[in-house]
Amino acid sequence: MTTPAGDRTVSLREVGPARRGTREDEVVVAVSPAFAGHFTKTIVDVPHAEVLRQLLAGIEEQGVTARVIRVRDTADLAAIAHLGAKLSGSGIAVGVLSRGTTMLHQKDLPRLSNLELFPQSPLLDAEVFRKIGSNAAQYAKGESPEPVPTRNDQMARPRWQAKAALLHLKEFECIEADRGPVEVEPAFELSPA
Amino acid sequence: MTSTQPEAFRRRSSRRTEILEDRPVNLDGFVEEWPEKGLVAMESEFDPRPSVRVEDGRIVELDGKGRGAFDFMDTFIANHAIDVETTEASMAIPSDEIARMLIDPNVSRRDVLAVSRGLTPAKILDVVKLMNVVEIMQGMQKMRARRTPANQGHSTSARDNPIQVAVDAAEGALRGFAELETTLGVLRYAPLVAIALQIGAQVGRGGVLTQCALEEATELELGMRGITAYAETISIYGTESVFVDGDDTPWSKAFLASAYASRGIKMRFTSGTGSEVQMGNAEGKSMLYLEIRCILMAKGAGVQGLQNGSISCIGVPGAMPGGIRAVAAENLVASMVDLECASGNDQSFSHSAMRRTARAMPQLLPGTDFVCSGYSGVPNLDNMFAGSNFDTDDYDDWNTIQRDMQVDGGLRHVREDEILEARDKAARALQALFAHLDLPAVTDDEVEAATYANSSNDYPLRDVLADLKGAQSVMDRGLTGLDLVKGLEATGFHDVAENLLTVLRQRVSGDLLQTSAILTPDFVPLSAINDANDYAGPGTGYRLQGERWEQLKKLRHVTSATNPETEVG
Amino acid sequence: MTQSTPTTPLGPSDYPLSVNRPELLRTPTGKPLSDLTMDAVVSGELTGDDLRIAPETLQLQAQLADASDRPQLASNFRRAAEMTAIPDAEVLEMYNALRPRASSKEQLLAIAERLEGHYGAAESGVVVREAAEVYERRNLLARPEQD
Repeated sequence: MTTPAGDRTVSLREVGPARRGTREDEVVVAVSPAFAGHFTKTIVDVPHAEVLRQLLAGIEEQGVTARVIRVRDTADLAAIAHLGAKLSGSGIAVGVLSRGTTMLHQKDLPRLSNLELFPQSPLLDAEVFRKIGSNAAQYAKGESPEPVPTRNDQMARPRWQAKAALLHLKEFECIEADRGPVEVEPAFELSPA
Repeated sequence: MTSTQPEAFRRRSSRRTEILEDRPVNLDGFVEEWPEKGLVAMESEFDPRPSVRVEDGRIVELDGKGRGAFDFMDTFIANHAIDVETTEASMAIPSDEIARMLIDPNVSRRDVLAVSRGLTPAKILDVVKLMNVVEIMQGMQKMRARRTPANQGHSTSARDNPIQVAVDAAEGALRGFAELETTLGVLRYAPLVAIALQIGAQVGRGGVLTQCALEEATELELGMRGITAYAETISIYGTESVFVDGDDTPWSKAFLASAYASRGIKMRFTSGTGSEVQMGNAEGKSMLYLEIRCILMAKGAGVQGLQNGSISCIGVPGAMPGGIRAVAAENLVASMVDLECASGNDQSFSHSAMRRTARAMPQLLPGTDFVCSGYSGVPNLDNMFAGSNFDTDDYDDWNTIQRDMQVDGGLRHVREDEILEARDKAARALQALFAHLDLPAVTDDEVEAATYANSSNDYPLRDVLADLKGAQSVMDRGLTGLDLVKGLEATGFHDVAENLLTVLRQRVSGDLLQTSAILTPDFVPLSAINDANDYAGPGTGYRLQGERWEQLKKLRHVTSATNPETEVG
Repeated sequence: MTQSTPTTPLGPSDYPLSVNRPELLRTPTGKPLSDLTMDAVVSGELTGDDLRIAPETLQLQAQLADASDRPQLASNFRRAAEMTAIPDAEVLEMYNALRPRASSKEQLLAIAERLEGHYGAAESGVVVREAAEVYERRNLLARPEQD
C-alpha cells in the first residue's frame, strides 16, 4: 500500500529520562517501544502522527497539558499505561501500543485494572483517539466523563486477529530490557507529496 | 508495499482483479509464517522430537527433556496423562504405522487407544503431521467417542433479554441441539438469563443440557444450584507462562474438574490452537504442538472432554497456511486420546460463505461429539460469544447440506407452526414462572413479540434496572433448580416441570459425568459407554438412516412427487 | 446410609445406572431415585440436598470408568467422591489457593493436611502436595513481597 501524499509523520526525540510530573493539570501519554519508531501506523493504517495529534488535541481542548513518554522495557499495555499514570502529575495516563490498542489508567488503581480500555485496535480511528484524549483530561480535572463508547465488530476477528498477533510479537522484539522510560518531544511534519 | 511487477503494469488493475478484490474472502486476514515465534500451524522445525524414558515406574525424559528441565505442563503430562506401563512400547511404533492405524478400518478404536495412551505430545504431533485432511476426517470418523454425533447451540441476546434467550433456546432445542449455552453482555443478568435458557430448552425438547459461560466461581455456583446442567468455559493453555497469565495451573484446573464432578455436574475444558501465540508466549512452538499439550493435560486431569478447534483464536490459525488442517487435527487428537470433543465452528471465522462452509467440513462430514461447540441459535448480532461461524440465517443451508451429503449435523428442519408453538409456550412459561417467583414481569406484548421475533430488535425494551434487581434476588434468595420445578408445576406447565426435574435427577445418578454424555429425548443418558463408536469401515458405525434420515429429508420447500403442484412438509 | 453395594465391580453393561441399576443409587440423604417425584417436590419433601450426588455413586461411576479403560476419569471421580463432603465455599477457597502465586508452600501443605485429616480426602491431598512441590520448583509459590 502506498502512503497518500501529504501524510503527517511524527518523530519522537528523546529528551532525557522520564520523571514524575509536578503539575496537577497534566496527562501523560505513554507510548510503547515501537510506536512512531519501528512502526509508523496502527493495525488499520492510522498514522501514529495522527494518533498522537488527536490524543494531544483531545487533552489540550480540555485545558490540560500533555507530556509524552516512551516506555522501553515492556510491551504490556497495562504496564505501560500504569507506569505513565505513576509518572503523571494528575495520576492519569493514556497508554497506547503501536497497533493502536489504548488504555486509560490511574495511578491508584491496581495495575490489572483500568479506567477505560479499548481492546479492539482495528476499530480505533482519529475520532475515537480524540475522545480518549478528552476523557483523559477530564479524569485529570477530577471529573467523571461518560466512557468513550466502545465499538464491536464480530468480523474483526477473521480480518485482524492474526495480524494483531504478529504486530504484538514484533513489538515484543523492540523491547529494550532494563531501559527506563524516556521523555520524548513529538516533532510533526507533513511529508511531501 | 513494494511490488516486483514491471513498471508498465502497475498503473491500473484489470476488471477481473477489481471483481476479485471485492470478493468477501479478501476481507479476511492472512499472514506469513514466523515459526521462530510460534506463528506457524503445525509444521515447525522448532518443535521437539519425540522421546520418552522410564525409570523406576516414572517418566524421566519427555520429548528430549530430562525431568529436571520439565516445565509444569511436561510434569503434569508425564505424571498423569501418559501410561507409564505402555509408553516405551507405544513410542517405539513408527509414526506412519500409528497414522495408518488411525485410518485403517480393520484396526478398532480400542486398538488405537491402547497405543495412544502411551504417546507423548511430540509423538502425537509427528503422527498427525503425516495425515492430510481426508485422512484426518477418516480418523475422526472412527475415533469420535460417542457413536451418535450431536450439536451444541448458543442462545444469547444483545440486550441480555431473558425472553429472547428462552424462546430461541426452545426453537434451538426443537431443531435438535443436544446442549445449549448462553453468556451475557452485562454479567449481573446471569441468573435470569440462565433460568430463561433452562426453561426454554426444556420447553423445546426435554433433556437438552444447558450452561452459562461465566467466570469460574459464578459458573460453578449456578451449576451447584441446579440452574444450569453443565460447564465448559474452563480454559487451559499450552505454555506455562500463558497458563499462569490466565491465573491457573494444571493442578488448579484438575481440582476444579473434581469439584464439578463432586456436585454431579458434567464439565469439559476449553483450549485451542493460536491462544498462546496470540498472548505472545508460544515459546517458539507450533500452534498444534501446544494444543496437543493442552489435550494431554485435560486427559491427565481426568476431565471427560474438551472443547477445542481454536475457538476464540480461530482468526490466528485461519490466517496461516494449513491452519484449518491443524484445527481439524486438534479435534482428531482430542478424540484419539478418548476425550469428548466439542469441535469448534463456534466463532465468526470468515467473510466468505464458501470459506465458512469449507472450514466446517472436517467436523461435519465425519461427525464429532458436538460438530459446533456453539452454532448460534440467535442472529449473530445477538451472539454474545462474539459471533459464531453459523447462525440462524444459516439454518436452512445447514439442513440442506445434511440432506445433500446424507450426514447428521445434529439439526433438522422443523415446521413453522411447531416452532411458533414452542416459542409461544417458552415465553408463557417464563412469564408464569417470573410472576410466581416475584421476578420482573413479562408482559403479554413481550410474549407476542417473542413468538414472531428474529432478533433482540424485535422485542419491547425491558426495564434493565428492575431485571438486574430481580437477578440479584435470585442469588440472594438462594433460588435453585428445584424452585423452578415447583414454580412451573404450580403455574400449570406440568410437562416442562417434569422435564426439568428429570434433568435435575440425573445428577444424583452421575450418568452424565461419563465421557460424551448427552440425554436422549427419552431421558436416557447416551455416552461413550452405552453408545460407543464402533466404526469398522463401510456399512458400520453411525449411519444416517431410518427414521432420522426421513426427518433430515425434509426441508422448507420440497416438491411433492405425488402431486408436483404442491410441496411436502 | 442404606445404599446397597454391588458385590462385583460394575461393567459397561450396567450403564446408565439410572436406567439399568437404579437400585444402587441413593441421594446423600438416603432416598432412592424413585422418591424423587413431582409429588415430593410439590409437598416440599425434597430439598436441594436430595438432588446432589452421593460419594458412593461417584465410586460406582469410577468403577464404570475403570471398566471402560479410562483410569484418569476414574481417579477424577474418586477425588470427587472425597470432595462431596467439603462445603461449596471451602471448595472454591481451595481452588483459589491453588492458583499460581496464591499460596506459600506451608499454606498448600496445610490444605493437603486438612483434605487428608479432616475430610479423609487422601487422593485430593496428593494432588495438592504435588502442586506444592511443582510450584516450588517452578517459582509459582506466593512471593512474600507481593502486594
